[in-house]
Amino acid sequence: MAPAVTLEPDATPYLELRGTTVRAVEAELARLWTAATTRTDRGDGTVVTEKGVPHARTSVLNLIVTVRDEAASNRILETLLSLGARHPSRAIVLQADPSAQGNALDARIQTHCHNGENDAGRICYEQLALTVRGEAAGHLDGIVAPLVIHDLPTDVWWPGDPPFNDAIFNQLVQMADRLVVNSADFSDLLGGLKRLGVIRRRSGVGDIAWERLAPWQELTAQFFDAPRFRRYLPNLSRLRIKYAVGNTPDSGTRSPEAAALLYAGWIATRLAWRRARSREGVANGGMGIILEGRYEMVDIGIEPVATDDAPPGELLSVRLRAFGETGSAEFIIDRSATEATVVTNADGMTALLRRIPLEPESEAEVLRRQLVLDQRDLLYEDALRAAGILLAAARESAA
Amino acid sequence: MTAEPMTAEPAKPASASVNPLRQGLRQERMPEPCTMVICGATGDLTLRKLGPAIYNLALGGHLPPEFTVVGFARRPMSNEEFHAHLREGIDQHSRNRPVSESVWSAFTGGIEYQQGNLDDPEAYAALARRLDRIDRDRGTAGNRLFYLAVQPSLTPEVVSHLGAAGLAGGSVRTSGRQGWTRVVVEKPFGFDKQSALTLNRQIREVFAEEQIYRIDHYLGKETVQNLAVFRFGNGLFEPIWNRRYIDSVQITVAETVGVEGRGEFYDQTGALRDIVQNHVLQLLAVFAMEPPVEFSANDLRDEKLKVLRAVRPMSAEDIAHNAVRGQFITGWVAGEKVGAYRDEPEVGPDSETETYVALKLGIDSWRWAGVPFYIRTGKALPARVTEIAVQFRRAPLALFGRAGAPEIDPNVLAIRVQPDEGILLRFGAKVPGPGLNIRGVNMDFRYGSSFAVDSPDAYETLLLDCMIGDSTLFTRDDELIRAWEILDPIVEAWHASGGGPLHFYAAGSWGPPAADELLTRDGREWRRP
Repeated sequence: MAPAVTLEPDATPYLELRGTTVRAVEAELARLWTAATTRTDRGDGTVVTEKGVPHARTSVLNLIVTVRDEAASNRILETLLSLGARHPSRAIVLQADPSAQGNALDARIQTHCHNGENDAGRICYEQLALTVRGEAAGHLDGIVAPLVIHDLPTDVWWPGDPPFNDAIFNQLVQMADRLVVNSADFSDLLGGLKRLGVIRRRSGVGDIAWERLAPWQELTAQFFDAPRFRRYLPNLSRLRIKYAVGNTPDSGTRSPEAAALLYAGWIATRLAWRRARSREGVANGGMGIILEGRYEMVDIGIEPVATDDAPPGELLSVRLRAFGETGSAEFIIDRSATEATVVTNADGMTALLRRIPLEPESEAEVLRRQLVLDQRDLLYEDALRAAGILLAAARESAA
Repeated sequence: MTAEPMTAEPAKPASASVNPLRQGLRQERMPEPCTMVICGATGDLTLRKLGPAIYNLALGGHLPPEFTVVGFARRPMSNEEFHAHLREGIDQHSRNRPVSESVWSAFTGGIEYQQGNLDDPEAYAALARRLDRIDRDRGTAGNRLFYLAVQPSLTPEVVSHLGAAGLAGGSVRTSGRQGWTRVVVEKPFGFDKQSALTLNRQIREVFAEEQIYRIDHYLGKETVQNLAVFRFGNGLFEPIWNRRYIDSVQITVAETVGVEGRGEFYDQTGALRDIVQNHVLQLLAVFAMEPPVEFSANDLRDEKLKVLRAVRPMSAEDIAHNAVRGQFITGWVAGEKVGAYRDEPEVGPDSETETYVALKLGIDSWRWAGVPFYIRTGKALPARVTEIAVQFRRAPLALFGRAGAPEIDPNVLAIRVQPDEGILLRFGAKVPGPGLNIRGVNMDFRYGSSFAVDSPDAYETLLLDCMIGDSTLFTRDDELIRAWEILDPIVEAWHASGGGPLHFYAAGSWGPPAADELLTRDGREWRRP
């Protein structure tokens, strides 16, 4: 149905505008596309404008990304490029430095095109990299507003640790339909989870750490798709989660426990577990929490494991245990660097064992899935709130 | 310690029939573990459609790990040879290529082959034993889906054998087995009302109506499903979806191909039975139905049935005036010479079978009274296209008309089902410059460019629905019978001595002039899609 697309894009050369104005950037963007009326056929089946810019243009949303420096800007542009064919967007990458001297605004504009198949034409979209300095950097919303495509959803992706109290952050969030962050990058996880919980945007908040849980959630849900195992759910009494941390103290991810907490929060809210108190005795300085399940008290343990097998923050294993009428049951997911081993040990049966490919996903792939969403993720909102409660309970004990 | 609830609104304890951990996930519609038995598994349908559809469902993570396929057919074949057969089809026809070796490897672990003659009771007994073993070994819990990918004439016999072998399910008490059983039946569903009733009765002797899934792949197409969303998910269109604003509707199902080696089947069937009875009338019903109380299988099908019941039966006089049948003769399609229909293999030299149909139908309902529905379908036409085009009434006053200037074209809404799936709205706009010249322009929504994601093939959608037990997009028996009631008088009139003339049209043309006349006498003309 939808055209398959080739992933190797054509790109126009960068158009550099130094010491420019928003109006000039806006005019240049308009010029790129109004030229489309003067089409010529290159003779090889592709139709181009007189300026060499392909005719067909597609965008499904505006994506605004903030970065700290030019190196980060280039990395983000690469990520967005690999998103392009599947999720063509007008991307605006902002590097703002209120204390810097020099031009108030520099801009780079580039158009990318991917070939569609089945005579579906070409999919084209543009990337803008803006560097804003001095006083203008305090008014990013005024710079971005004229450059977004009207009547398309606008997502703000804030890689790294969002400055929740910063005026620039709040300006951009206010103009967004959706905010995408990575809670694993928060320097203050508890504070960040609470702040995310009160941000109200039309399409809500997206979280890369949460999105990386998708295969774990799917494997966990699969255990209980079978009615014979579903009956163990009300009797779950133990949940153990292990997550990866780097082997060195400075491994980059500030809150590697974020995904594990969100996973525990997801299970707890889906199964209507209530009330939390902490317990001690989890290895490697992990967290222990006791919840009230439907029939059993549920003992949750969240433990960090230093490893190079998985990126910091990713889950390494999940073990669920329940007691039923016919004895205990255990549901286990263990991951190695490339696959997950899934074991069911219930009903007195020989363990069912499966191996499933499970490799770390690229940032672009995870982001793409988040950008597809155009509505609030209520499951995440519940899990976010629960993760905050679990973390607060664990910290109370530690204090 | 804290006593806070975990959620703003604590989740209710789930019922035993629902997996609470499945709710809200991207893969929310996950079927229970089950075995799919393909009866006639070595045929073209498995190669081209079923194999690729199942693979793509597995690739997308839509199937449970216990899911198992059993190919059941006459040809001797090992499991490995059956894997190779499926792989060949997937390599050639899957929308996702190249094949992911890791997914394929896991996928083949759940695919087996059972050799057996479809008319041999012992073959079904052996199949039953294999299915019991699979239930034990793979945890498929007695859930079984039988897909009848067999010649239509074999359907009653296969169904009867399934019943005799105890494979049709039923209650745990009578069968001694837990789990559900469903059967998928491909068209044609009979060749007239009487034969459809007979076929229904034969299948119903073994399976209950709620176990029967009559598949019409048009209903699985994304655009057809979007038609309901377009109408009932937007506040803008439904208020004008009636006789007050709509002048007429055209439904076109055009094919560029001929009978593609199906001469014997097609010559006994013709375009009216092959396309109009199912695809076209289903499109018409979804287009014209009232809003259902909820988007559930029976509510939706109730509304479709009401539309079909309101389609005005055609009298002999109506048929003479409002039904055109045609047959293609030698011509050129896409630069290639195409021989006449009567020269096709297994087609008689004096065949009267129609390869083209044009009809003018009326729907006697409060909403549609007086709005003509023009329908056409044909083979060897210039373009492959399926669309529904709505022509709106003209503006009540020619405010911009000048003496001698042509009238402004009426607005058209075209819902393109295939290819280039999407929706186009045509309206008048002022041509820039001095003067007040008006020209028709298009607002064009295309799935391909607006979503930039692959849509599932119709068979993927429908197979998944069937495994989940959602029969919304399948045809119910009463819809089927009513469709035959609409068309039987036309078939009978055409087959009677002195029936309406058979009009010939050149392959590569848009049909016979008589079909154009159907509209021009009403002051309208066919769209050129």
